[in-house]
Amino acid sequence: MSNIVQILADAISLGSLYALVALAIGLVFGVMKLINFAQADYITIGAYALVVPSASVTPVLLLGALPVALMVPGVMLVVTLLALATERLAFRPMRNANPATLLISSFAVSYFLQHLVMMVHTGRPKSVGIGNSLAGAVEVLGVRLPGNQILTMAVAAVLLVALVFFLKKTPMGIQMRAAAENFQMARLMGVRANRVIAVAFVMSGIMAATVSLLLVIQTGTLDIRMGLMPVIFAFFATVIGGMGSLPGAALGGFIVGFISVLLQAFLPAELRAFRDAGVFLLVILILLVRPQGLIVDRAAKERV
Amino acid sequence: MTTQTLQTLEARDVHISFGGIRALSGVNMKLRRGVVFGLIGPNGAGKTTMVNVLSGFQRPTSGTVNLDGADASGIGPQKMARAGIGRSFQAARLFRDMTVEQNLMVAAFGAGLPAARAARAAHEILEWMGLAAAAGKRCDTLSYGDERRVSIARALALDPAFVLLDEPASGMNDAECDALMHTIAHLPARFGCGVLLIEHNMKVIMGVCDRVHVLDGGRSLAEGTPVEVQNDPTVRRAYLGEKAAPKSAALF
Amino acid sequence: MSVSPLSPHAPATTDRGPAERLLRCWFPVLALIVPLFAVAIVSDLAGSVMIQRTVTEALIRIVVVVGIYVFVGNTGVISFGSVTFMAIAAYATGWQTCCEALKPITMPGLPEFLRDHSYSLFPAALAAVALAALAAFVTGLVLMRMSGLAASISTLAVLFIVNVVYSNWDSVTMGTASMVGLPRYVTLWVALGAAVLAIVVAWLYQSSRFGLAVRATRADEVAAAACGVSLYRARLLAFTLSGALMGLGGVLTAHFLGTVSINSFFLKLTFIALAMLVVGGMGSLAGAVAGVVVTSVVIDVFRRLESGFSIAGANWSLPAGTQELVLAGVMLLILIYRKDGLMGGREFHWPSNRGKIAGT
Repeated sequence: MSNIVQILADAISLGSLYALVALAIGLVFGVMKLINFAQADYITIGAYALVVPSASVTPVLLLGALPVALMVPGVMLVVTLLALATERLAFRPMRNANPATLLISSFAVSYFLQHLVMMVHTGRPKSVGIGNSLAGAVEVLGVRLPGNQILTMAVAAVLLVALVFFLKKTPMGIQMRAAAENFQMARLMGVRANRVIAVAFVMSGIMAATVSLLLVIQTGTLDIRMGLMPVIFAFFATVIGGMGSLPGAALGGFIVGFISVLLQAFLPAELRAFRDAGVFLLVILILLVRPQGLIVDRAAKERV
Repeated sequence: MTTQTLQTLEARDVHISFGGIRALSGVNMKLRRGVVFGLIGPNGAGKTTMVNVLSGFQRPTSGTVNLDGADASGIGPQKMARAGIGRSFQAARLFRDMTVEQNLMVAAFGAGLPAARAARAAHEILEWMGLAAAAGKRCDTLSYGDERRVSIARALALDPAFVLLDEPASGMNDAECDALMHTIAHLPARFGCGVLLIEHNMKVIMGVCDRVHVLDGGRSLAEGTPVEVQNDPTVRRAYLGEKAAPKSAALF
Repeated sequence: MSVSPLSPHAPATTDRGPAERLLRCWFPVLALIVPLFAVAIVSDLAGSVMIQRTVTEALIRIVVVVGIYVFVGNTGVISFGSVTFMAIAAYATGWQTCCEALKPITMPGLPEFLRDHSYSLFPAALAAVALAALAAFVTGLVLMRMSGLAASISTLAVLFIVNVVYSNWDSVTMGTASMVGLPRYVTLWVALGAAVLAIVVAWLYQSSRFGLAVRATRADEVAAAACGVSLYRARLLAFTLSGALMGLGGVLTAHFLGTVSINSFFLKLTFIALAMLVVGGMGSLAGAVAGVVVTSVVIDVFRRLESGFSIAGANWSLPAGTQELVLAGVMLLILIYRKDGLMGGREFHWPSNRGKIAGT
């Protein structure tokens, strides 16, 4: 029983992490049909903002030295500015390009940022000790859960609720949903494209910063590829959820998280190294059954 | 002359609804080889939807599409094309980075013609339509009128038993429109195919069509020879209504 | 030399001899191949070993980028997974040809016919290419059912699946360690031959009815369906042929370096190959080849600058990683300011076409 609760907790916390990344990708995809590889580097750079650039494997803390109340907004500010900069410099000039061109340009932006980080911080993994106080375990339903897992779930829950509130209740959120439904129509009805897109990037930045902090707290390490796997998994979350559907993206994130944790738990030990291959294989099987994804976006199907 | 053996294309009791909105309600129509069949009606009457149904792009919510009586609903646009149903689009939808001749070759190959015959067919069609000089031009360099004519030529290159032409003359001036209608009227004699022609302008269609079907608000209003349809009181009411109050007609 | 649109089926409007017709038809290929021959001859006669290596590498890259182009360029669907088929072929040829004495120890999990036997190089290469094509076909059966963007993302899954499997299947692949001791038979001339073969195959394909059909789907899926083109079959064929050419690129890489390791066929190579294709222009074969040539020169220049140069007696060097930043930057600038790449999606055409083509 306790084993099952533990697996469930792992699955929910990993799933909610992927759901956050998938939502960030889904928001930007919704307003400009861009699948943003650079989301990985927003996460990575958010984490590296905690330390002073150096070749050291145990670097001096920068933002990480601040009290939590300043550190969290600090990281969010850095990542948000980065997200806005990529939008302004790289993505805005090709806003009317087709989705394939946008996809490949975000691949280039990501490669650029990754090597920029490597140049500044070197490619070696580093260790940072923030959030050590959360390493302690808390007992829930007779199972001892690590504090950082509970934090991940709580933060994800708060952000998900806040996001739903934003999209359903605020004028900007409603405009954003309208833009995702039909961008041309939304523009005719007075939605300002630049503002909606900028807000989508701000939100993807805030979510990326959150994910980078959660990852650092969980692992205590910095790595130039730390954002990559969550974002790749989140891509598949958005695809199996149904591209263009935000609830689909969140659902897809949880599905991918669950598959990953279940494979880790139930694969025989000698096959566990192949877990990620298994996740991708299952994702492709889901897509084979539902090529359009689980929640089909009506706007996605072209009218003749 | 086409090699297709298909003789009739028929819609039986076709209903289409998009999320609660009824686009077509119980429409029946039968197209025959060698006949120019006109489809008219005000904006939103369901004319394009009907073409989409007949060419396999839109599966009927209920009812069937039949080829020589055999049910072909839901086989999809590609198989419909191979079965001998060619179509044009309101927006020409040419392959813009290809030459005019290549556009026709795609369709001729799509029909399964071997290379030499495909090239000959494309050449003959372009010649007949007076487009031979444009054969080597890229489609993104064509004039608007040529674009529209190439889109018809491409539908013909499919070696079709039926061509469905969705407002082929839209945006053309009167002289161009007259010339095009003259061409369309001669399609059955030249290619042995049947033609479905959508057109707004009642006067234009009356001169070209052997039979006319009137749609309004997704329902069949009337069908018959041009003279019969012209004298049909319900059709007159619908059309006079449209002319008197274009705004309300657009609501259909 | 004029640049004009692709028109393999352009009619012979005036009477010309069969020799000139043939030349006109094959000019787009000759315009790519002849300069490659010239470069190869010059570097063979006059170049240092270093230069010959650089040219050989660039020729192998041409095979790889043309391989990606066959799918990406003709379908308009981005593939991030193509280098996977390089890896599959590279390992396949390695298993057949390397280190007979060591194989039973380093790769005990190989089936007996590979573990205890070696095969001659040419059949091994053919078998490896065939395996890559088969892998691409099977993958394509699943992936090509999806819409363009979903298929693009799913090619990433293929890249990761094969990477994870080969990195961990220690008894067959030696994990992330390198398989060493492959015969190094890929000289300048072998690479040139392969590059010419790849270019000719790509040209024959794109000029064929299948190539025309798949390019029609790239321009307009809906209109292509109305012309009787099956999107699925057209893309599947492109993906399979692309897989075969990628396999050829993998075999060449393996027998050029003499070693194979799975991590050399991953995101970095994917990025470089796509960057080359984007710089030259995804829409044409000439773009794929020109992209490799131009980008290889840029990469080589910055590689040298990173390793140090001297101005006015002082020694300078650019920081490591400049190469990558420049490449990504160039790719972005091309995407923003010249979306269709240096070649603008066009092939090289016989000059006498000039008068006939309007607007070019």
